[in-house]
Amino acid sequence: MKFNKILVLLLTLLLVAGNLSGCSGSKETKSSGKTDQEDRATVTEGETETAAGEASSDSKWEYKEATLTLLTDGEVSLAGLEAVLALAKEKLGITVEVEQRAGGADGDNIVKTRLASGDMADLCIYNAGSLLTALNPSEYFLDLSNEDWIARLDDTFKGAVTIDNAAYGIPMASSQAGGVFYSKAIYKELGLKVPKTWEEFIANCDAIKAAGKTAILGTFSDSWTAQVLFLGDYYNVAAQDPNFAKDFEAGKTKYATNEAGLSSWKKLAETKEYYNEDCLATTYDDGCDIMANGEAGHWIMLTQALSNIYELYGDQVNGIGVFAIPGDDPANQGLTIWMPQAIYGNKNTDKTEDILRFMEFYVSDEALDAYAGSVLPDGPYCIKDYELPDTAYDAVKNDMQPYFNDGRVISALEFITPVKGPGCLAISQACVTGQTTAEESAADYDADCLKQAVQLGLNWE
Amino acid sequence: MDKKKMYSNWFLVPALTLFTIFFILPMIISFFFSMTVWNFTDFKFVGFDNFKLFFSENSLNIGIKNTLLYAVLTCGLKVVLALLIAVFLTSGIKSKNILRSVVFFPNLVSTIAIGVTFKALMHPSKGLINKVLEFVGIPGADWLGNTKLALFSIIGTDVWKGVSIATVIYIAGIQSIDRVYYEAASIDGANGWKRFWNVTIPLCRPAMNSVILLAFIGGLRSFDLIWAMTGGGPGFATDVMASIVYKQYAAGFYGLSTAGNVIMFLLIAVLAFPLQKYLLSREVD
Repeated sequence: MKFNKILVLLLTLLLVAGNLSGCSGSKETKSSGKTDQEDRATVTEGETETAAGEASSDSKWEYKEATLTLLTDGEVSLAGLEAVLALAKEKLGITVEVEQRAGGADGDNIVKTRLASGDMADLCIYNAGSLLTALNPSEYFLDLSNEDWIARLDDTFKGAVTIDNAAYGIPMASSQAGGVFYSKAIYKELGLKVPKTWEEFIANCDAIKAAGKTAILGTFSDSWTAQVLFLGDYYNVAAQDPNFAKDFEAGKTKYATNEAGLSSWKKLAETKEYYNEDCLATTYDDGCDIMANGEAGHWIMLTQALSNIYELYGDQVNGIGVFAIPGDDPANQGLTIWMPQAIYGNKNTDKTEDILRFMEFYVSDEALDAYAGSVLPDGPYCIKDYELPDTAYDAVKNDMQPYFNDGRVISALEFITPVKGPGCLAISQACVTGQTTAEESAADYDADCLKQAVQLGLNWE
Repeated sequence: MDKKKMYSNWFLVPALTLFTIFFILPMIISFFFSMTVWNFTDFKFVGFDNFKLFFSENSLNIGIKNTLLYAVLTCGLKVVLALLIAVFLTSGIKSKNILRSVVFFPNLVSTIAIGVTFKALMHPSKGLINKVLEFVGIPGADWLGNTKLALFSIIGTDVWKGVSIATVIYIAGIQSIDRVYYEAASIDGANGWKRFWNVTIPLCRPAMNSVILLAFIGGLRSFDLIWAMTGGGPGFATDVMASIVYKQYAAGFYGLSTAGNVIMFLLIAVLAFPLQKYLLSREVD
């Protein structure tokens, strides 16, 4: 009996010890890239242990030790951010503890709940544009519009983080585009040319399908990927109807009744026969692997995937080319661009000074150099006069840059108007898998947008 | 009959206070906010608009339909399958203790883990289920990608996981039946089937009622398994009330998602309460 008791005691102790070490272990794990939805590993940045005194000697930055917490989406590439954080510790003495959260609807839930319960980290990384508006930022985030350095921000980006004349965020990464990735190897093998119109694109898809390959890669297990074609087609919508955004926000035009708007949904419906058979079970991560290995002809995706592929496969990323989602006019082809996620400062902490100090540093050339030295840009930075580095992915340098040079770019609708139906991903998913027709999807999306308009207090009839 | 009370009413106060603060008050507040457009700081009263929206919009009312289908099917399957398993496990077979543990195993695994595992097993091209079917020569299916099939695939998984609890309740119920009933029935010449139908089933009715109620209410508010396996997709094909409420909340439609919760509350109350009454009235002593 006595032996048993001792055994039980020992086992209990072991269990407790195991639990404790498990907890502390997970806190120190530096998780690079993907995290599980449940996983909220805390990444402590501080590999560059520099003595306090010497770091600040030749710098224009004030050195004062402080600790800030930061909550970020774990699905974006964090290498650049980590490089800047290491430099911030060295130059400013600010240690930033990074906590990762899930993306998608789970991420929205975490951010909203933590804001509402007063449990937000000092710095929060979240989308700009329509999704920011839905957070009710004036309650929670610092207004940066009176800082001198805010003038450095690119105007389009500033517009996407400004609500009622208050600017809330700074760009966390480079901007990016929503376009069509294509495998240069498959294009060469089949003798295809980069399409200039939607018809040519479909013809290319037919050719790839006829060759027994996946014409368009679908990664709809992550449902947000299904909406990229719809959102990325906005350049063509605006080309056909320049007043679309204004009329749409005013409730005067609808996707179901506006010809330009409806054509986006028609494109979605038209692609349904070209996807891989297991498209609903394929994830974004799988997609990066498949494209890097040239196993699919096209993938309609945000160019942030270039960085994900680069981190995993290195130079194989240059086997991928990018073109804008084609419209009907071969002479007017343009790219729809996405503003990067932004860093917001928590208004309800006593660390305002440190937060502003960190933000000013983050948009400085010094920090941008560190960022660009660690990860290549997926598009131009949203900082005025900061040039793209010479080393960039071929897709950015050769394929995307010409659009920017000619001014044939427009930012996605969600950065121009706060109205974006949150059901967009599921509605797009239903459309590309043939559950609904283009017209039904457009009507569903209009109904979804109406809910958002009501929530925002817009006066839609 | 003015029976003198043994305790003063004041004894109710602590429990009642807690109940009011944590249950009654939030309920009233949520009824109120379900009729508003709300962003946590201000609200605008809109009457029953949120409820109307829930019943008129396809992407929302599919949840009501799916929730009912899900609850009825998972409940029905669990009630029948668990009874059969329980009868088997209470018969005189060897190694029944091990078998009982085996049956209970799925319930020890976290629902999310089960969801993730089955999602991988049901992968249309790489999943084990289709690989095995292919090997046997039967064409596999896109279990979670086919909109007509997806909800049933999740229901199957839910039953696989939940049948164990029901079995345990049944086993307890069957074991508490006095042996003399079976002996009497045998003497009267009843065969195995008749003993099962006329002795086991009526006498384990209390156990069955618990199983029905637990499984039904569990089915009505199911969320985690569905969220892990399909996230409500493809499109809206497997959305249930709870996942819709979650998504509306994520979108920042706090009023609308509260309305969804109220509908869910009413649905459970309106269905489960009469069901319980009815089931209890049919119990025999």
